[in-house]
Amino acid sequence: MYVLLVYDIREKRVGKMLKLCRRYLNWIQNSVFEGEITEVKLKELLAKAHNFLDTDEDSVLIFKSRSQQWLEKQVVGQEKNKLDTFL
Amino acid sequence: MRKTYYLFNPGRLSRKDNTLQYTAYDEQGLPGQVKYLPIMDVADLYVFGSLDANSSLYNFLGKNGVSVHFFDYYEHYTGSFMAKEYLLAGKLQVQQTQHYTSKTKRIALARKFVEGSAFNLLKNLRYYQSRGRDVAAHIDQIEGYVAALPFANAVPELMGLEGNIRQTYYSGFDRLVPTDYAFGTRTTQPPQNELNALMSFGNMLCYSACLSQIYHTQLNPTISFLHEPGTRRFSLALDLAEIFKPLLVDRLIFRVLNKREIRPNDFVQDLGRCVLKEPAKKTVVRVFEERLKETIQHRSLKRSVSYQHLIKLECYKLTKHLMQMEEYKPFKAWW
Repeated sequence: MYVLLVYDIREKRVGKMLKLCRRYLNWIQNSVFEGEITEVKLKELLAKAHNFLDTDEDSVLIFKSRSQQWLEKQVVGQEKNKLDTFL
Repeated sequence: MRKTYYLFNPGRLSRKDNTLQYTAYDEQGLPGQVKYLPIMDVADLYVFGSLDANSSLYNFLGKNGVSVHFFDYYEHYTGSFMAKEYLLAGKLQVQQTQHYTSKTKRIALARKFVEGSAFNLLKNLRYYQSRGRDVAAHIDQIEGYVAALPFANAVPELMGLEGNIRQTYYSGFDRLVPTDYAFGTRTTQPPQNELNALMSFGNMLCYSACLSQIYHTQLNPTISFLHEPGTRRFSLALDLAEIFKPLLVDRLIFRVLNKREIRPNDFVQDLGRCVLKEPAKKTVVRVFEERLKETIQHRSLKRSVSYQHLIKLECYKLTKHLMQMEEYKPFKAWW
């Protein structure tokens, strides 16, 4: 499964969310992550996020697609982080 | 599927916030942009450039089951950091050892590896034969050697036949690649011309790919059947690679040379040794990676399977054979 994860979280907790997401997905822009992830791993990520999230204030959106090829991505302007496995 | 990361640039990899942080160095050795690699998405790391790292990073990689393969300046495989074995199976280990010590059991398996390898490389030759390259003589000669396989009674004899098959096969290479390249004979340590350099590099990628897959099964990578299990090397990966080299490496060589993705000036000749230049290495690795990810429709599984997964399936078949559940049949390309 290929997902796009976007969050809007109070400053106090935003750092925690950033660090958590970095472990599972690729950072592409502030508060935006994307990447290949399994159903279970995504559940794990969300379970961990629930430990600190305040659901009255914060919001996390996840866009799922079956695989990367079903997601058309267009970049206008700067691409902040190129996703490449050749470093 | 977790991804393989290839580190070419010099840089520092460290553990940060329970994930991997990679800082590339520029020409002056100054740290550049920081990148985070999602640890949950990393299968293994191939390190070609110089990498700074500390033990806490390796502890972290070990805990997450990520292995690191190292290659020296001359792109030889120098070794691996393997994460702690997580699939232990005493019963299989005992069986694997018994299949090695019993002469009849060992030769039966070793023969299968050579058979599989010969079948796949003949497939390559036949493909080019149908494309109007004259390799009929080579095919006949190899078929002769294959016919002799069932009569080989000792492993060195098998290795000899295998050597003959390869030699004949390589002598046909000159007709399959552009005329700028002459193969001559197979030279290693160091490879002396372009084709040999490309082949050494490709084989090494193939060995590491096999080793990575063996690691994810319960097989012990040090006990092999065709190659003699030495010390300090994972010889089972060499056995498995025999079967996959014609598919993964040789076809890659034909592709990059015939499509001119690599040209004669992508090599450096010095001191009787030939090596690939940096951008050419990247091209080869990229093509190899693409090939591993490519999928084919599997006949008996009735679903599409990547080349990488084919290697793992091969390990499973081997396991079944060792546990005496099903006789091992080497993988033979059917397309």
